[in-house]
Amino acid sequence: MRGARWGDGMRARMAGWRRGGHGPVAETGQAELAQRAVLADGHALTAVMLRQLFIGQCLVLALHLTWMPAWLGGLAVAVAGYRYLQLRRRLPWAGILLRLAAVAGVLAMLWLEYGTLYGMEGLIGLLLGVYLLKLLETHDRRDARVVVLIGMITTTVAFLHDQGILMAAGALVAVAWLVQSLVWLSGASGSRQAWRETAWLLLLSAPLMALLFVTFPRLGPLWNMPQVERASTGLTDEIAPGDIANLSRSSARAFRVRFEGREPLPAERYWRVYTLSHFDGERWSRARPEPLASALSRPLGDFVREADRSPWQPDGSASFEAELLLEPDNRPWRPSLGTPLASSERQRYLVDGTLEGMAPLSTRSLLTIESTGLAPAFIGPSGPGWHSMLPRQGNPQTRALAERLWQESEGDARAFLDSVMARFGEAPFRYTLSPPRLTSANRVDEFLFDSRAGYCTHYASALAVLARSAGIPARVVAGFLGGERHPDGYFTVRDYDAHAWVEVWLEGRWQRIDPTAAIAPERIEQGPQAIEEGSEAFLADSPFSPLRMRDVGWLNDLRLDWERLEYRWQRGVIGYQREARSVLLSELMAWLKGAWQWLADLLPGRGGFAALLGLAGLAGVAASALMLLRRGIRRHRQGKDERALVLALQAWLGKQGLGPRRGEPPAAHLRRIASLASAAGPALEECAQHLERLRYARLGGGEARQRRRLLARRIKEVRRRLKRRGSAPV
Amino acid sequence: MGVGAAARARRHRWHRRLAVPLNQALPQRRLFLLPTRFGAGWAVLVLVLVLFGINYQNTLAYILAFWLFALATVTLLRTWRNLLGIRVSLRLPHEVFAGSEARLGVVVSGGRARTAVEVHGAGTGSVLDLPEGQGESVLAMPAARRGVQPVPLLRVESRWPLGLVRALAWIDADQTLLIYPQPHEDDETFHRRVGAGLEASDFAGLRRAEPGDSPARLAWKQWSRTGVLSTKVFSVPPRQQVWLDYDSCQGDPERRLSTLCARVLVHHSAGDRYGLRLPGSTLPQGQGARQRREALEALARFDPELATPTSTRWQ
Repeated sequence: MRGARWGDGMRARMAGWRRGGHGPVAETGQAELAQRAVLADGHALTAVMLRQLFIGQCLVLALHLTWMPAWLGGLAVAVAGYRYLQLRRRLPWAGILLRLAAVAGVLAMLWLEYGTLYGMEGLIGLLLGVYLLKLLETHDRRDARVVVLIGMITTTVAFLHDQGILMAAGALVAVAWLVQSLVWLSGASGSRQAWRETAWLLLLSAPLMALLFVTFPRLGPLWNMPQVERASTGLTDEIAPGDIANLSRSSARAFRVRFEGREPLPAERYWRVYTLSHFDGERWSRARPEPLASALSRPLGDFVREADRSPWQPDGSASFEAELLLEPDNRPWRPSLGTPLASSERQRYLVDGTLEGMAPLSTRSLLTIESTGLAPAFIGPSGPGWHSMLPRQGNPQTRALAERLWQESEGDARAFLDSVMARFGEAPFRYTLSPPRLTSANRVDEFLFDSRAGYCTHYASALAVLARSAGIPARVVAGFLGGERHPDGYFTVRDYDAHAWVEVWLEGRWQRIDPTAAIAPERIEQGPQAIEEGSEAFLADSPFSPLRMRDVGWLNDLRLDWERLEYRWQRGVIGYQREARSVLLSELMAWLKGAWQWLADLLPGRGGFAALLGLAGLAGVAASALMLLRRGIRRHRQGKDERALVLALQAWLGKQGLGPRRGEPPAAHLRRIASLASAAGPALEECAQHLERLRYARLGGGEARQRRRLLARRIKEVRRRLKRRGSAPV
Repeated sequence: MGVGAAARARRHRWHRRLAVPLNQALPQRRLFLLPTRFGAGWAVLVLVLVLFGINYQNTLAYILAFWLFALATVTLLRTWRNLLGIRVSLRLPHEVFAGSEARLGVVVSGGRARTAVEVHGAGTGSVLDLPEGQGESVLAMPAARRGVQPVPLLRVESRWPLGLVRALAWIDADQTLLIYPQPHEDDETFHRRVGAGLEASDFAGLRRAEPGDSPARLAWKQWSRTGVLSTKVFSVPPRQQVWLDYDSCQGDPERRLSTLCARVLVHHSAGDRYGLRLPGSTLPQGQGARQRREALEALARFDPELATPTSTRWQ
């Protein structure tokens, strides 16, 4: 029955709701002027409108493309194809059974894809599926508007994945398209009009949007929402030297940082993230405060405290003040240059001298940390004993080596460490990004006496085990070393900058020892890309990374420019949260006060009245400037009026040997030629007609513009057709 | 009169007070803005997006929410501006018979381009565009009853450009339509229509010849002189002189009026001289368009209360 209604669209358009066309528009009957009806009658949507909705869906889907399951694209095509065939009346309406089956199918596919429907990915997939399937039951104007509303929500959900510039630009396109389809639904008569209206709406609303964005109060989250599962960085809180996968080779960004005051030298850029103090013979792992507190049966407050200043080193003086722009991650790690002393927000200060956030980050956010640049000067309640523990068995050769070196250094810890480092600096030890796998139970032995090739974790692990064997408290620190300095003065630290080194407890404080510095000093100074050996492994996880092009000058410049833009966007727009807002608003208020004062001082008289007068004067100047601009635009438009157009055409025709006779009016000239120029004839006739209407008929502004546009188009057509024929007749 | 009818009457009075007369630019005070259901949905959407932005601390969600809010604000202004200052004038139909529809020409002018202006009245509506500030459309309103009928209150509204709000105004035409009775042809009327005609005798003029004209009537002389083939036309003298009498018809008053209406039309087209006798008024005999109009108007305005039962003679 509904099919019949659909098919009757044409008839329904003739009766009932009819659109009153104005005379000249209907009479010209041009294809350009023909009004394309969006709604066949007051209710049923036409194919044109459905196509609009479908394109909108594609644009919104494109925002999700990187994260969504690929079969959703197939679903979109399938639904659109079904509607297409249906419009051709080959298929019946999608009944309730078919629609229910489709929804069930989507649910089943999502369940297969993610294993659960309650995760955020599943929910987003469900939203996308509903958005696509809604097209099956979109029959009238109201349904179409609902589709657009769902599209807006789906666009917003894409921001959970990413808030970069590209995403913002894509979302702008999608939203503009959706608004445009709403304009169609409200009765636009052509795409030109629809787009013009859309552009006006978006432009006029942009200032209000900006104002709201700047002034709207920013609140903390009101309640907990399901979060998107995120991949974490290459940094782990557990290292097992010998497992190749432990080295991150991706160029994904870990965080960006800008320094207030002094910037660290390359050799000072040790970003501490985790300390790994528990060694089980194979792997080093982190001792979390909660299990440590219960194992040592001490209060948790001895191991971790929430504060915005470090409770462990309250009188330390800060060397660096770093403003971090952190990437979202599913673990709440916070890097600090040395020992953290204070932070702009409450953080968990751990007794091992590292920081943890209160919660994982779901979006990029800013955090300022003051830190010492040195390893901590406190050891915490677990004491040196905890940091000297080794398994009873295992790695006998290493233990023997430690024994021998300890005796050689005559019980001097520093001399012992120096001799170990000197050993690493000699052949046959080498630093490589793709070392052989270590498979035996005594991995440290295997590394020290057999393979003798590895990267930072191998050396750090070996050094820490040697130190502990000699009774020196030691731990492995996982973090980042280095970072690329951007010309704008901020650093980008990437996953491949992940590094591991050792801290030993000597002379009442932790001392940083980096064995990598002994074996591959260029790694410290220039970063991992400086390592030649095994360098095919560098960026192995990022085959398309633009960092591969860092040797091509202009490409590298382009990459740096893009990164600068991205950084500014992230820091200025996306990072515009509570603190940034209050700073900007107070600056704005101060500026306004200053301007007010300036106005009051500038004018004779006192106080508010004079300032008001000044304001009025400024408004007057602005208004007159606007008027001048408008007049200029009008002049410019008039320059392109029909007389100029036709004179140019006549001159061109003259060159072709088809010029006007003496005293012949332009319209008559064009008509006369029309009979000679076979292919260009109709276009010439039309030119003459438009010219006459424009010059002698009283036309409204809209029709005059329309005709002028058509005239210009026909003139182009005349030239094209006459040119194609080559020589002129006559 | 029930409660519903009373409420309807009250609403109608209220609308009349808010309405704007014809041919007057729609003033700001008489233009109303109401949110549509879609507008309410939009408000909910903005709220949801702001909550999304707050709970996920998502800046782009904030931006989109604010932009949609700003769009709604701008739409409010543009919808209002789309209707502000338009003038509505009417083109009344020449004659309307009861039972057919009154095709009311609505001319809307707006000074500048307007889009998708809807005009509603008496249960029908149409949409028109004013690309050059001028637009025209026809409202086909059913004319159910004979008599003097006021042109219903017209409602002009617009949801352009996004359909979030509806700007509307009422137009009080303050004009009346005279609806003639529905012509009802009884047997007698039909009999009177045919009948032996009189010969047309008086030469009345020439008209352009058409295929099928009698060769005897063709103006050959004219043809030889001008080259245009013409036909001589002779006027037909009035065939009959008749009185159409209300009392001689049968049935209830409306039925009689319908019969009389049909007879007026028949006699007019036959070229007869006819007069009309109604209880309380008499139209003298005459012919031509004017006589027809006067007769039909008399029928349309006739008040059946005047026809007292005693004057009705059943035959």
